[in-house]
Amino acid sequence: MTSPLKFQIKQASTKTSGAGESARCGTFALSQPASTVPDQQHVKRTIETPGCLMYSQKGAVPHLTPDNLRQQSFGGVNVSLEHILQTDQPGSFSKWPETSPISQFNGYKFTLSEYLRLQDLITFCDLRDYSFAADTFRHPTSPPAKKLASNTDHHTVLSTPKGIRQLTLDGYLKTVRHYRPDVVVAMADTIAETTTPNEKRVRKSVERSLKWLDQILLERNGQDGTIADRRVEEEKKRRRERKEKKRNAAAAAKAAGEQQEHEQKQEQDQVHGEYKKGEEIYIEPIPSEPWTDVGLFVTVGGAHLEESRVWSAQETAKKEGVDGFVIDTLSLSELDKDSRLKHVQTSLAHLPENKPKLLYGLHAPEDVLEAVAMGIDLFDTSYPFQLTEDGKASLYYYGPRPAGQDKSNSNTLRSINLWDDEHGDKFVPILEGCGCYACKDNKHTRAYINHLLKTHEMLATVLLMGHNMYQYSQFFTLVRESIQDGTLQENSVAFGATFGKEPIRTLEKHPNQVIVEAALQKRNQRLDGAEEGVVGVIGMGSAVPSLGAAVGAEDVEMEDGNKSNKKRHESDEAGEDGGSKDEVVEKKVKKAAESSSSPL
Amino acid sequence: MKSALKWDVIAKCGTTKARAAVLTLPHGPVNAPVFMPVGTQGTLKGITPDQIEGLGCQIMLNNTYHLGLRPGQELLDTCGGAHVFQGWNRNLLTDSGGFQMVSLLKLAEITEKGVQFESPHDGSLMLLTPEHSMSLQNSIGADIMMQLDDVVSSLTTGPRVEEAMWRSIRWLDRCIKAHKKPESQNLFAIIQGGLDPALRKQCIEEMVKRDTPGYAIGGLSGGEEKDKFWRVVSQCTDLMPREKPIYCMGVGYAEDLVVCVALGVDMFDCVFPTRTARFGNALTATGTLSLRQAKFKDDFRPIEEGCDCIACKSYTRAYLYTIVTKETVGCHLISIHNTAYQLRLMRQVRESIIEDRFPQFIHKFFKDLFVEKSAYPEWAVNALKSVNVDLIQGEEQL
Repeated sequence: MTSPLKFQIKQASTKTSGAGESARCGTFALSQPASTVPDQQHVKRTIETPGCLMYSQKGAVPHLTPDNLRQQSFGGVNVSLEHILQTDQPGSFSKWPETSPISQFNGYKFTLSEYLRLQDLITFCDLRDYSFAADTFRHPTSPPAKKLASNTDHHTVLSTPKGIRQLTLDGYLKTVRHYRPDVVVAMADTIAETTTPNEKRVRKSVERSLKWLDQILLERNGQDGTIADRRVEEEKKRRRERKEKKRNAAAAAKAAGEQQEHEQKQEQDQVHGEYKKGEEIYIEPIPSEPWTDVGLFVTVGGAHLEESRVWSAQETAKKEGVDGFVIDTLSLSELDKDSRLKHVQTSLAHLPENKPKLLYGLHAPEDVLEAVAMGIDLFDTSYPFQLTEDGKASLYYYGPRPAGQDKSNSNTLRSINLWDDEHGDKFVPILEGCGCYACKDNKHTRAYINHLLKTHEMLATVLLMGHNMYQYSQFFTLVRESIQDGTLQENSVAFGATFGKEPIRTLEKHPNQVIVEAALQKRNQRLDGAEEGVVGVIGMGSAVPSLGAAVGAEDVEMEDGNKSNKKRHESDEAGEDGGSKDEVVEKKVKKAAESSSSPL
Repeated sequence: MKSALKWDVIAKCGTTKARAAVLTLPHGPVNAPVFMPVGTQGTLKGITPDQIEGLGCQIMLNNTYHLGLRPGQELLDTCGGAHVFQGWNRNLLTDSGGFQMVSLLKLAEITEKGVQFESPHDGSLMLLTPEHSMSLQNSIGADIMMQLDDVVSSLTTGPRVEEAMWRSIRWLDRCIKAHKKPESQNLFAIIQGGLDPALRKQCIEEMVKRDTPGYAIGGLSGGEEKDKFWRVVSQCTDLMPREKPIYCMGVGYAEDLVVCVALGVDMFDCVFPTRTARFGNALTATGTLSLRQAKFKDDFRPIEEGCDCIACKSYTRAYLYTIVTKETVGCHLISIHNTAYQLRLMRQVRESIIEDRFPQFIHKFFKDLFVEKSAYPEWAVNALKSVNVDLIQGEEQL
């Protein structure tokens, strides 16, 4: 089967020996990047590796509207299924309007890329949000990621916006068939209910994941991958039915009295006779719709047990049809960075060189350098996102100091926190010479962003995110160049010497943020009645000006305004749904049931 | 008084009092009638200046009171004004800080000297005098500045209304005296007088004598009955100088804009479009969509067919339903759409005036928005009738 993905390694670094030997540059793309639908001019971008997929929440990259998003050079987006699986029917958006001209083209199926309007970006679909799994700068006492219930032989557990959901293999397959992302990660048993799994649990997870992988590979090729499961289900069903019949027969016999006993006994024998124990149940195989146009990445796990990691990698490497690997680190989050990297190395050693590997969590720049040196090709952009949430802006660079940056970064800081008072009167961009839309042409200054943070305005995170993403992509560009010209090792050493390590993330908000939020609360109390408004943003969010608090200055003032139009514009009121007059009654009834305001 | 603007009426409606014009200000031309989005604290709710420009916006509002608190006058002086501060190269209009008097009334004490506010942020006292307001607004550097007026709620009755009207005139004089940059910033007077036609008339007479570059109708949009509201607006536009722009502050909703344009108003501002966007409500020509409602779960149409904003070009209602009020991107998208909607509405209004088919436009607008004639708001019907547009009967005559 020809792969829908193309990964070409450009040049493995041969100029340096020892550390960095495994680093390589490549291009990761679809075999068919151009859309085949008429009137659709989209061509999927290529990802240069080492490179990134963009981190998203609910299918959208945080803070970036589509136009601002496209200014970033990253070639793909990582979409977590657990963010977007909303209903029981995963294909809810297969109900695309029939009137659309596109839908009239040979039953064209709408894909996840269409729905999320990412037709020009590689859509990579994983089950869960692992981006913060193994942060090396997580505060040691910060609350662990939500611990879910354990996966079972039959399902994996997801944490969706509407609650915990169990995703069965059937559900997973149905989702993939409907969503048709460019790349999907195979459903696997990633251990989420504990960060210190025991040996038995680890072995079970590898075993389960491999079993599911076999089934997924069969299904992908159009064969019946779930026939064994269905046979088991059928057997269980028959056993249940038999028991039920026996019970009924016994009850009937008792009621009828002893004269019937003999007759009943005969009947029971008949029941037994229908199915002989040990006889195999025949299940009609269902030919399934193949999805060989979807790329498949597989997670190699094994937690912290070397043997399991080797086993997982070796067995997975044998399978045909796997386009790439995700190196699991979710279960390593309790370990120190070096141990984590050691386990990553273990997995890598048993995986084929010619396929791309993705790594979550080890995404601070210095961690990226170590992972790249081992041969990791893909990361995600949750690092710049985390910085943004904290009000920070990146200043680090890789390789020789870029020209024009001398003025603003003479301290060689890796980042600044725009909440700090010292930026309040600095009418310079975050980083002189930076080409992002925040810094370009000195359009937005540190003083302005400081002001935006202090006034709880959302533009702050829009500007910071744009900048941090841009800086991250610049970093990767320079890393790739270094691999090409053999300077990876020396530049990485220099980077470590200049910028050190990412500081551990604090648990507390910045003191200025605390002041601002306290003042906001006080003001609302003083003015007697402005509600907090709507729900805050889901996610790390410790510094994000939440939408709730973004009920800004003028909202308070408009309290009494325009009451005469209130009927038609009920939406004025904080926290209430608007809607036409017809909806009002319907809404009151539904309001109890609807959980539209409840956060994760 | 010196003026830093040019007002060129390029078309007049043959039926109503509407006119289309070009208002040329220091930071560029503005097509009127115009709706000005409100960026209170020096930002339009998560939308970048590039994006605002992309929507065709030529002028927006900043709030003097809030900017005076944060970032403060000193900082604005240092960097050269609000334009530079927020990276906005087109026009700005600042209100005086006077409206906060009404909205933050519990915290304000009004005397002849000025208004003493207790800052809601930290309880500190701030005295806003006409002189101080002018000074702040000079530092902000907006192309149009508003006088500090003694605003009373439109629901107030009794001698307070008249007192406020006279005081506003006295404060206008003080503003004119204190205004340091008439060659680059235009000071607008604000007509007060509550809902009393006699007071309004007097106020207009006096303020016109001061010959400011433009005039605003103030003291409305405070919850008064719409029927009273339009009569005041109409009286004002009749009496105010027609060779200068007329600005009705705090207006607002789509139907209000259309009616007031017909009554002769040229400029508007309102926080509503961006504010309601944050609660997930999208404005369309056929009504407001509350995208938080589950009924949009499977609705794969864009917010508004034919809208060319980035939200409508990119996403479906179904997807927006999943992210409004939950992801900041959802909020940005609806804010952009609502602003685009308001600006597009004014563009369409203006085009129809230029092509002298504004009455037809009005008919279609109300039909699209309200569907049934029985649903047309009575005040709008009355207001339009006063300028020769009969919403109920008139369509057949066109």
